[in-house]
Amino acid sequence: MKIIGIGTLFSGGRGIDAFQQALAKGWQAPSPLACRDRTLPAYQVDLDGMADRTVLKKLRRADKLSKIAVVAASDAVADSGLGAAEQQKMGVIVATAFGAHATTFAFLDGILEYGDAAVSPTIFSNSVHNAAASYISSALAIQGPTLTVTQFFFSFQAALQLADAWLREGRVEDVLVGAVDQVGEVMGYIAASRLAIARDGRIKPFVFSPAEAVPGEGAAFFVMSSRDRGSAYCTVDGLRFHDDLSGPVRSDLDILDADGLSIDESSYISSLVPGVPAAAYAPLYGSMMIGSAFSCAAGALMLKEQRCFASPVPDNPRGLAIVREPADSSIEFIRCIRYNCSTDRAVIELKKA
Amino acid sequence: MSKVEELAQIKKDLKEMLVRDLSLEDVRPEEIKDDEVLFGEGLGLDSLDAVEIVVLLQRNFGLEVKNMDQGKEIFRSIDTLANFVLENKKPS
Repeated sequence: MKIIGIGTLFSGGRGIDAFQQALAKGWQAPSPLACRDRTLPAYQVDLDGMADRTVLKKLRRADKLSKIAVVAASDAVADSGLGAAEQQKMGVIVATAFGAHATTFAFLDGILEYGDAAVSPTIFSNSVHNAAASYISSALAIQGPTLTVTQFFFSFQAALQLADAWLREGRVEDVLVGAVDQVGEVMGYIAASRLAIARDGRIKPFVFSPAEAVPGEGAAFFVMSSRDRGSAYCTVDGLRFHDDLSGPVRSDLDILDADGLSIDESSYISSLVPGVPAAAYAPLYGSMMIGSAFSCAAGALMLKEQRCFASPVPDNPRGLAIVREPADSSIEFIRCIRYNCSTDRAVIELKKA
Repeated sequence: MSKVEELAQIKKDLKEMLVRDLSLEDVRPEEIKDDEVLFGEGLGLDSLDAVEIVVLLQRNFGLEVKNMDQGKEIFRSIDTLANFVLENKKPS
């Protein structure tokens, strides 16, 4: 399947152009997130500061998670250039690790504060797990199948797998597939309690252990197509899970999703191949279990532009081969590698279109 | 506080509540006229907003609207909502 459109929304801005600029510009400091008695650095999306609010006007009842998802999804569809008739028939798959957890907690707080008879029905409707996917379908007038995939670390990879199945069986010709997650007081509290937070705001992906995190939020959406289009970013050539090491490793660049969500991320070292440089871009958008979607966007951009972007935080105590400077480059294959806390692995293989 | 002052304060609170809790975009509380129709062609609220207003009245003023025929009249405008609140709210 081919990636024919990308939309991203993260702390650095909206749209694939903003993401590309962030990749070129390098590391930017996160903003403070207050949670309970502490403040920690976090990469947060500023919806209020968004210049073009056209799509948000259709979403006044939506919570932040759904708004982030719809904006990124809308931009991906616009970027794909699909016509209204094609858009109407496409499928939607939303991947998320935690879904509308902030809204769910707000709903529970409402019960505690006002009793179960006086809880906001709007908050309840937004706490439903398929809400973001439904808002996307509704706002973009999509009538194809709509699904939400929830899994902590590999939800985006599972969504890609499902999208591939839909395309192969001819259920749809195009799928809008993406990932979204949100950071807030609850997630900040959990991160501060369970993770090592990079107090200087810099995720250092190549330090591996002890790994430090900076929580992030955002969405990256892709229009995947079975059609042969000249303007594709790249092809998703394969998805490998766990110990599937069959076949030769084809990679000109490995993007590591090391972002401090596990205290020890040394497993990434075993995935590296001699002679293949590594990069990691989590310091641009923060630690997210759906961070692979942003890595995939970075990989797709690099394959299309035939240009490598530098790793934004190049601290490299082990002297690994990493991309330190942006450069025009001949890239045929990119692997996006993610490990979970149990050292299971998922690899997205991208190929030049 | 006189009844007139109390009514004015309730109207102000109701307008702020609607804009904030119904997430009305591009509307400021002071722009809502007291006699403006809230649903349909007026402010543009819909049936889901009506359910939310029922909950908001319960939360903020301890008032229950159980009869929806009565609710249609109560929810017509800020004037009618404020009068309902003034006449039925529990003494503080």
